[in-house]
Amino acid sequence: MTEKTNPKPEETKIGVYVCYCGGNISDVVDVEKVAEKMREHPNVTIARTDMSMCSDAGQSIVENDIKELGLNRVVIGACAPSLHEHTFRGTVARGGLNPYFFHHVGLREQDSWVHSNNPGGATEKAIRLMYAGIAKANLLKPLDMIKLKAERHALVIGGGVAGLRAAYDIAGRGINVTLIEKTPFLGGRMAQLETVFPTGNNAREDLHSLINEVRTHPLITIHTLSELVNIRGYIGNYDVQIRSQSRGVSGDNAEAALAACTQEVPDDFNYGLTKRKVVYRAYEGCFPSTPAVDWEHYDGKPIEIDGQKVIFENKKKTFDLRIGAIVIATGFQPYEPPRGDYGYDELPEVVTLPQFIRHMGLRDGNVGELTWKGHPVRDIAAIHCVGSRHLAGVHEPQPDGILNNYCSRVCCTATLHQVNELLDEYPNINVYDFYEDIRTYGLEHESYYTEASKKMVRFLRFHGDQRPEVVAAPEGDTHPVLVKGKDYLTNGLEVEVPVDLVILAVGMVPRPVDDLVDMMKIPKGDDRFLLEVHPKLRPVETPVPGIVLAGTAQSPMNIQESCNAASAAAAKVAVLLAAGQVELDPYVANVDLDKCEGTGACIEVCEYEDAIVLETMTVEGKEVQRAVVTPANCSGCGNCVSACPHHAIDVQGWEVAHYEAMVDAITMEVEI
Amino acid sequence: MSYSELSQKEKTQVLKKLREEHAETVERTQALVKKQNTIRKDIRKALADESKTVPEIAVIIDQPTHEVLWHVSAMKLYDLVAEDGMKDYVDVLYKLVEEKKK
Amino acid sequence: MDENKLKADALVVGGGIAGMQSALDLADQGYQVILVEKEPSIGGKMIMLSKVFPTLDCASCITTPKMSAVANNKNIRILSYSEIQSIQKNGSGFIANVLKKPRFVVEETCTGCRLCEYACPVDIPNPFDLNIGAIRAVRVPFSTAVPQIAVLDMDNCILCGKCARACPVDSIDFLQTEKEVEIEVDTLIIATGFETTPIDAKKEYGNGKLHNVIDGLIMERLLAPTGPYARVIRPGDGKEPESIAYVQCAGSRDETLGVPYCSRICCMYAIKQAMLIAGSLPMADITIYYMDIRTFGKGYEQFYQNAQAMGIEFVKGKVAKISEDENQNPVVRVELIDENSQIIERTHDMIVLSVGMIPKYNPSQVYGVNVDEFGFVKSPTPNLSSTKTNQPGIFATGASTGPMDIVDSINSASAAASSAASYLESVRNGK
Repeated sequence: MTEKTNPKPEETKIGVYVCYCGGNISDVVDVEKVAEKMREHPNVTIARTDMSMCSDAGQSIVENDIKELGLNRVVIGACAPSLHEHTFRGTVARGGLNPYFFHHVGLREQDSWVHSNNPGGATEKAIRLMYAGIAKANLLKPLDMIKLKAERHALVIGGGVAGLRAAYDIAGRGINVTLIEKTPFLGGRMAQLETVFPTGNNAREDLHSLINEVRTHPLITIHTLSELVNIRGYIGNYDVQIRSQSRGVSGDNAEAALAACTQEVPDDFNYGLTKRKVVYRAYEGCFPSTPAVDWEHYDGKPIEIDGQKVIFENKKKTFDLRIGAIVIATGFQPYEPPRGDYGYDELPEVVTLPQFIRHMGLRDGNVGELTWKGHPVRDIAAIHCVGSRHLAGVHEPQPDGILNNYCSRVCCTATLHQVNELLDEYPNINVYDFYEDIRTYGLEHESYYTEASKKMVRFLRFHGDQRPEVVAAPEGDTHPVLVKGKDYLTNGLEVEVPVDLVILAVGMVPRPVDDLVDMMKIPKGDDRFLLEVHPKLRPVETPVPGIVLAGTAQSPMNIQESCNAASAAAAKVAVLLAAGQVELDPYVANVDLDKCEGTGACIEVCEYEDAIVLETMTVEGKEVQRAVVTPANCSGCGNCVSACPHHAIDVQGWEVAHYEAMVDAITMEVEI
Repeated sequence: MSYSELSQKEKTQVLKKLREEHAETVERTQALVKKQNTIRKDIRKALADESKTVPEIAVIIDQPTHEVLWHVSAMKLYDLVAEDGMKDYVDVLYKLVEEKKK
Repeated sequence: MDENKLKADALVVGGGIAGMQSALDLADQGYQVILVEKEPSIGGKMIMLSKVFPTLDCASCITTPKMSAVANNKNIRILSYSEIQSIQKNGSGFIANVLKKPRFVVEETCTGCRLCEYACPVDIPNPFDLNIGAIRAVRVPFSTAVPQIAVLDMDNCILCGKCARACPVDSIDFLQTEKEVEIEVDTLIIATGFETTPIDAKKEYGNGKLHNVIDGLIMERLLAPTGPYARVIRPGDGKEPESIAYVQCAGSRDETLGVPYCSRICCMYAIKQAMLIAGSLPMADITIYYMDIRTFGKGYEQFYQNAQAMGIEFVKGKVAKISEDENQNPVVRVELIDENSQIIERTHDMIVLSVGMIPKYNPSQVYGVNVDEFGFVKSPTPNLSSTKTNQPGIFATGASTGPMDIVDSINSASAAASSAASYLESVRNGK
């Protein structure tokens, strides 16, 4: 039953703990002085300090104090609540108290880190913040976590190698998976590779071993040509809407349609090096094997199939699913240099590394000589860090205003792997490799660098602010293009290297996912990649519960790293959904039915669907309307609290009275 | 039977027997402890009047500086010496900590 | 406890960050996990570190709560100070024979009060501080150890009995002997981690004999608030250094040491340490001698650029030799690659060798898993499923499979948990 007035704070016995945070706090704040001050407070039974409260030893102190001193409230001043509030709730619960009889005061992010130049002021602030925490702790009420049934069904967005890996691992744990892929075919970027490091395996053969496992798994449903268009709900219970396009052709007429189609467009699978029909398969052996119509480019004209004129129709359909958790595996796209940068898109002899890999894959057995656009290739330049490691003040930001200052991680090894394979086949080609730092990190990668050196690849080192230029060679020159720059392996000597082909080792940018970001309210980092909560504590989780990241949507990664991240994401989904139940913090709106007069003002300002509704109920024999909260739908934002004219609604655990008490305590006269 | 369940007399006997079994270790370690105690005594003496730096102690007690530092840091760990400011901005000064009266 | 037979779903070998993460991810799915750790405490290498890149969180802020989460998880049982002796196949699962070494302290009653430690007359070099600092022969291994229980080092004990007399709960037990425990499990994760390349490996770099030439892990201890001096001073004479230099690839990318690969972490930890030193010794000059700076992870390149902006000097050069002058100052002989390979000598107060990673343990014999020429566990499917081994049901994670940083280790650990869970389910559904 709700009490009519604020309960008088019971005889509280508060344990106060102030953490050194291994120096993070104590280097600035006089932690011992803070604790000493706390001991003067009438409600404080004990105040202690510790080098690290979150350690097992630190937590044990709190547990023991609760048991031995009969504490009924705990206040800990430490790092940010986002880091360890949950940890300490567990501590308090193990001590035998309701876990919500605990208040976490942020003394690191909110104090020591931001006031490192003012230790005295920081110590005073710490004392005031701790007093505020005590004031709130006095008013805390016992709360229970909200337990919700969780749908044992995950949605994986993206059918590249990360999405496939995540889907297979989640299904392996006995959880249903729906995998959606925007394009008509599975495989993503990996399908466009030829051989992969460090195994030298054929990329598509490796990929198909995984695709076969996924497509035959009884718990996995695959939808190609499908996108998420709407999402509602919360962890364990997301209602998602998916829109699918049709393939346009079906088993009966597919082959005939493919044969009969004459409209051609640049083939995106080959990064525009070739053309393909608008009825197409991405590549030989792709899955699904049924061709599809490229709706974006199809001109809508009839095609004659078996003597009949056929116009392909895109029959879109949408369907709804109830989903427990979501894996975002939307992947990357290669950086595309602006026209003219390193001669790209102006000089026909300049290609990106992904294009070059496709070029190598497209050759039909003619191994005698490497050619490019009909001309023999004898000298090649590779240029690293194209679209990566840009420097503020030196390089232009991208059209979206973002500077690509990050390293794309895979390009060094990928380039040298490709160069080595090239030289195995064409040992007489000369390769000039322009780099800033060769980043063949890790166990298997360095050997690509040493091998390239053994194969007489000529390395030239540039400085990040003086990158090489690519220009057309003068008429009548032996080679079509020149790469000009300074080589710091030879004391900054100006070099001019004539070559037949320039390969740009372009970096990675995430596939555009603004629609998902907006729909799901997940954050992007400064580099446009999706952002995890914390790189070590929660490396694949987004701040939105139940939404996790897999692969290069999060940052540049190679295949191994993408698959590890995807499996990690699968593990998090399994942790969330294995029990069929999730628990949420009870910080949700709560209506005082004795004060509520059914104005509906709360509903008007509520931004969450079905969080508050008016229900008819009988009070003193009269039928009245009263606001009722569905805790699972409420975010605890507090909009309703400010809107209610009768102060009848409050957020549990963060009541208006709590804030008032905290403000009073912070502004209190204190002798420091 | 664990050690704590033994009588005082038995404990003494057990320790004696174990010392015989581990004679080599015990002998080596006792020699080490003896040497340690000598150096510690010297360090205490060196610090008796005023705070000193590691190189200063090293000269007084005629031991290499890295050895002295090891002993001083061991003593600091168990609250037998404490830092006492800096000398010439680069050397830490150490002082003796008054032993607590039991 | 007289439990010499245990049963669980999964056995995780190694209680470092990777092993802990694997154990937590399995336990949180409801599986019963036994975590075996060779040392007296879990925590691995990470708990020794000061702050971690690229966020500069203190390492213990991340590690200690994980250690506590492992200790408090009702589905995890920790066997510390224990080693795997042998592994036998048992149907689709395994039987592991584990040797529980004697702590000479009763685990059930010890409260970790450290009165024994204060009573002990024997100071020995502290392995937790890489022997730079001191510790007693009986001690709680370090302040945030889990379990928070003392351990007595019989190899450095004079059996004087002072500790037993000091113990308020009679926990010292000189009569304790080792115990064998048999563990029956369905799946197994190897997370045995790494060792740094030895500081004395390279005779050109002083053979480990120069007191003011240390390695990166020792610098971690110097920078940690719980470290041997609780400040950055030279181990040779206790002076605060005014000029510190890092030598990169000191133990990696070096065929002569048998470590031809790049250890992945050294560039970042050197830059991180340089930034931390710049914070604690603002007047110090810091130089990093490098071949290639490999700051490839998320946020790492920006970290590198920040370090350059802070004034840390990056010199592309090969350090050929390190010697010492009469004041114990190390002198480097370096070939300046950006300056026409001219060779110069420079004197610093202290040198940090950015040592690399080698496997801590070669599991091929005991587990029958394939390893590479260096002893890292080799996956038959390194790209698609890197934690798989050639033995069905045995998975490997973290630095036991190759050099990797903490972020990559944690993902690898979760991936291993995922693969192990799938294996458990497939075995059970098959039955």
